[in-house]
Amino acid sequence: MTLFAVTRLELRRLFVRPLGWTIAALALAELGWRFALLLQIFLLNQVRLAALPDGPGYTDLVAVRLYSSLITGSTLPFGVTELALLLVPLLTMSTLASERNSGTLPLLFSTGLSPSSILLGKYLAVLIWLTLWLLSVIVLPASVAHGVKLDWGMLGAATLGTFLALAVLAAIGVACSAFASHPAVAAVAAFMIGVALNCVNLGAQLAGVNIGFINWLAMSTHQENLLRGLVSSADVIWFLLAIIVALALGIRRLAADGERG
Amino acid sequence: MNAPNPALPPVLQLEQVTRNRAGRPAVRDLSLRLHAGQILGLLGVNGAGKSTTLSLIAGALVPDRGAIRLLGKDFLEQPELARQALGWLPEAAPLWPELTLREHLNAHGRLRGLTGIRLKEAGDAVLERLELKDLAQRLAGVLSQGQRQRLGLACALLHRPALLVLDEPANALDPVQVVALRNLLRELAAAGTAVILSTHQLSEVTAVCDRVAILHEGVLRYDEPLPADQHAALEKKFFDIALHGKAQAT
Repeated sequence: MTLFAVTRLELRRLFVRPLGWTIAALALAELGWRFALLLQIFLLNQVRLAALPDGPGYTDLVAVRLYSSLITGSTLPFGVTELALLLVPLLTMSTLASERNSGTLPLLFSTGLSPSSILLGKYLAVLIWLTLWLLSVIVLPASVAHGVKLDWGMLGAATLGTFLALAVLAAIGVACSAFASHPAVAAVAAFMIGVALNCVNLGAQLAGVNIGFINWLAMSTHQENLLRGLVSSADVIWFLLAIIVALALGIRRLAADGERG
Repeated sequence: MNAPNPALPPVLQLEQVTRNRAGRPAVRDLSLRLHAGQILGLLGVNGAGKSTTLSLIAGALVPDRGAIRLLGKDFLEQPELARQALGWLPEAAPLWPELTLREHLNAHGRLRGLTGIRLKEAGDAVLERLELKDLAQRLAGVLSQGQRQRLGLACALLHRPALLVLDEPANALDPVQVVALRNLLRELAAAGTAVILSTHQLSEVTAVCDRVAILHEGVLRYDEPLPADQHAALEKKFFDIALHGKAQAT
C-alpha cells in the first residue's frame, strides 16, 4: 500500500534529520535524571513507606511519576507528558508544512494518493517514532524490576495512557502542520492547543469549581485514570475521539489543497 | 512527427478543462489530445496558465470543470492511474534536502508501486542514463541546480510512465546537458512515451517538439504540428499571440 510508502518516506526523513535525534537525546537525558531523583527519594523513604498498610510502592512513586509531573502531583518537573507537549510539536511541525513550503506536496498528490493516505501515512510514521521513544523510557523503571516489586498491570495501564496522550498530541501536531504554511507556525499552534487541551480544567480546579464538561474536555482527566491503573473504555474512547477529530480536520485541509491549489 | 495510431486512445485527453485561481480563470475551456510518441511543447508568457495546466494534468490540482482522461480513463475518478502512467517534473524540481539521490528514487519508486529488485534496477537505470551514478549517496540539499533538475527528471522517469509532464526541464542545465536532455526526450518518444513540456524558450520547442500549443490568458490560442525548420514561423506566431493576443483558435 502506498500509505506505507508515505510512512516509510516520513520515517526516513525523521531519522536522518538531527532534530529528531536531538529531541530524543535531550528528553531521555532529562527523564534519566528525573528517574534517578525519583528513585533516590523512594529509597530514602522506603522504611517509612514499608510500615504503611497499602502504602504506595515503587510503581506509584517512581515508574508512574516518570510519565507525568502535573497529573501525579510530583514536585519534580517534566514527565513524559509535559515533555511531549513541547517535543511532539517540534517533531510534527515539518510533516506537511515543509512539504507545502518546498513544493513536494503536489508531487505526493500527483502519485494518485488521497489526502487521507498522505496524512495517515505521515501520522503513522510519527506514531512509530514516538512509540520507540516511549519504549526507551520504559526501560528506565523496568531496569530495576529485579530488585523491587513492580506492578506490571499498573505500569501497563499508565504506559497505555501515556501512549494515547502522545497519539493525541501527534494527531494535533500533524493536523496543525496540514493547516500551517510554515513549520514554526505549526509548532506554536500545536503547542498551544496541546497545553490548552491538557490544562483546560486546571483553572476551574484551582478555583474549587467542578464543572463536568470542562473536566471531560481535559486530556489530563482521562490520562489520570489510566496513570492510576484504571483502564476504562470511556477514557480510551475520549482519546480515540480526539485523534479522529484532529486527523479528520487535517485531512479536510489537505483535500482543500488539491482543490484550491 | 510520430503519427498517432487511431486504434489506440490518446494517452492524454483534456476536455473543456477550466480552473480558476484567485477568483479568475487560470485555464479556460482547454481541450487537448496527446498520443503515444508525441512531444508537445506548451508555450506562453508568464501567467499564461502553463504551470496550472501541467499541475492539472499531473493531478496536483483538481479542475473546476471538464474532464481529464489518461489512457482513455477518467483520471479524476481513477487517480491511482497516475501511479503507473504519469511522471511529473514540476518547475524547480522540488526535493527533500535531507535525503540522498538513491533515497529519493526509492521513495518515488515506492510511491509509484515499485518494490524490491524492480525498484533497484529502475533506480540504477535512471542514475546511469542521467549520469548521476557517482552522486547516488549525496544529499539532495547540496546538489547544484543542474543536478537537482536531473534528479527531478530521474524521479519522473523512474517507473517508465506513458506520459511525461515536464515544466521547464532545461532550467539550470548547461548546454551539454540541454543537448543530452533533447536526446533523451527523442529517445523516450521513439519508445512510445508521450511528452508534454512547458518552456519559455522557443529554441527548446523547435529542437525537440513535433507539436506546439500556445496558451494566452488561460486560453489555448494555437495547437498545430511543428514541421522541421519552422523556428522563424513559430517565433512570429508566438509574438503575435503574446503581444497582440491575435491568433486563430484551432
